[in-house]
Amino acid sequence: MLDHGTVLDDVRRGMTPAHIYNDREIFDLERERLFSRAWMFVGHESEVPEPGDYVVRRVLEDSFIVARGNDGEVRVMFNMCLHRGMQVCRAEMGNATHFRCPYHGWSYRNDGRIVGLPFHQEAYGGEAGFRRKGQTLLPAPALDTYNGLIFISLDPDAPPLRDYLGEFTFYLDYYTKQSASGIELRGPQRWRVKANWKIGAENFAGDMYHTPQTHASVVEIGLFREPKAEKRKDGCTYWAGRGGGTTYKLPPGTLDERLRYVGYPDAMIERMKANWSAEQLAVIGDNGFMVSAASVFPNLSFVHNWPKIEDSDDVLPFISIRQWQPISEDETEVLSWFAVDKEAPEEFKALSYKAYLMCFGSTGMFEQDDVENWVSLTTTAAGSMARRLLLNNRMGLRSDDSPVVPALTPDEFAGPGVARVGYGEYNQRFLLRDWADHLERPAVRHAPVEVGTPAAPRLGDDLAEAGR
Amino acid sequence: MNPHHVRVDSRRSPLGGHASTTSRVGPTLAFDDTRHLTAHRWLVDEAYLLDEQDYPAWLDLLTEDIHYYMPVKVTTALGAGYDTAPGMAHFDENRYSLRQRVARFATEHAWTEDPPSRVRHFVTNVRTFATDRDDELVVESAVLLFRSRGDVGEPALVSAGREDLLRRCDGEWKLARRLISADESVIRMQNLAIFL
Repeated sequence: MLDHGTVLDDVRRGMTPAHIYNDREIFDLERERLFSRAWMFVGHESEVPEPGDYVVRRVLEDSFIVARGNDGEVRVMFNMCLHRGMQVCRAEMGNATHFRCPYHGWSYRNDGRIVGLPFHQEAYGGEAGFRRKGQTLLPAPALDTYNGLIFISLDPDAPPLRDYLGEFTFYLDYYTKQSASGIELRGPQRWRVKANWKIGAENFAGDMYHTPQTHASVVEIGLFREPKAEKRKDGCTYWAGRGGGTTYKLPPGTLDERLRYVGYPDAMIERMKANWSAEQLAVIGDNGFMVSAASVFPNLSFVHNWPKIEDSDDVLPFISIRQWQPISEDETEVLSWFAVDKEAPEEFKALSYKAYLMCFGSTGMFEQDDVENWVSLTTTAAGSMARRLLLNNRMGLRSDDSPVVPALTPDEFAGPGVARVGYGEYNQRFLLRDWADHLERPAVRHAPVEVGTPAAPRLGDDLAEAGR
Repeated sequence: MNPHHVRVDSRRSPLGGHASTTSRVGPTLAFDDTRHLTAHRWLVDEAYLLDEQDYPAWLDLLTEDIHYYMPVKVTTALGAGYDTAPGMAHFDENRYSLRQRVARFATEHAWTEDPPSRVRHFVTNVRTFATDRDDELVVESAVLLFRSRGDVGEPALVSAGREDLLRRCDGEWKLARRLISADESVIRMQNLAIFL
């Protein structure tokens, strides 16, 4: 039997028990205490732009339809017929006015309301047997958005998304709000890797230290302007609220020059200046840091980089959003989207997509080598020796817990949270501390939801009213 | 032809503007037609190069205007009119990006292929079509890629259909366009650090 307390204590002091990366009991705890509570990303509003548009996404095994109703509102509904439990939508994306269960023909409007219940009178005696009026597919227990990013929580009492994200929203804007219109998402590419989901989240949160080693090959072939991968240590890592990330240090210059340096055209720069706060602009223009990889607890990551995409000295920036969707303790489905500012010129969008494909995703030249490491690590973490080994993930701390380098002052780094230049595992520890805090709290039992009976909560009453 | 079947098409790619638009003309060429025999032989020789991971030699088989395109498949309802994620692919390559991928494998730090995978391309269901140009042929094939890494993990498979445009350049047949139709929406392989 696992001694949770010891594992969590070790994690909190930066000594990571290696088996947490491949352990059925840990995974069961994560399912019960973490994924049942945390805000989980399920898509972006730009993926369902028109009434009737939908995508189907999962939170672990639970399938959800993310659909824009005819009324224009985006809803997230549990993809299970209220009668016999069949999936009412078996496509991954599309446009529909209704979802019709193929089993017995119950059908639901794209806002979730039951509209068809065959032989309602003959089979149930009408409303007296099954109260159809106001009944809907089960909505996600909690739903909230930020910059069009759609999150759900399986906990109806989850705190508001903004409280959950905290000051990390400051950094989210760099990736998702380069203009008033925000981003559009394409994809995702989806593929399965035999690696634990936490490894990717930790890596993107703060692992600048792996870049010179893992990604030596992409620097050698001249994919980047900087000739040496060690440039990474000049950047800083930051953690704020529920997330953190890495940055690159840009060469001296003005705000405009620095944004041009990473490849943004002037028209996009003007929109960034109009949309970002003085502090958000100061991180780039005054402090000289440009965001790169980042993670939001528990399993959503971002990346921003600017490779060369043709035989020239010019670089093109791209943004990717990715989710490390847990399948089991030793398998993860990666969902990797390309994101681009909606107002960007079409030519920029095409070339930025090219930059993304060359670097990240299922064929990305960065990502290929990352996954090789993570699979190998996960495989080895399954054994009994891994249960004895406490990995030292205390980089950046001396043995008395004093930091190796001081935190940046507000003059040096205008963003919220704590930032430090150079290599450290502060962010991986912050992420795993949140993880430990979740695993420590006992699960809450949610009351069963009964449908069709007089006692049933009539979730769609307000909708039924609105529909009249 | 099933009206719901959707073919992979370079014109659906945001990066496919440079791709040749040559298409098949007429029925399948007879299996003893010299043009079919030539195309079939080309594919088999190519499969051996890819199995040996002799990528510099493979690169020499590609034309300057190559479009190497493998869109992301999605499950859509019958009659939706599309079965790929709009604007997204696994591979959407031109000569430059393929050259960079090959150059990376030649460094000493492409860890995902060091140690190298054992790969085998099984190529079958080959059929060839004429085009309205004497120096171009369309050839279709099915490919099953088997990839094994190390001695612990399970091997992985990728199944796909391919529609290739072969062009004769200075007496040599080269690949001018490859449209890859993946048979899975979720790839069951740790990455696509291979070529199909």
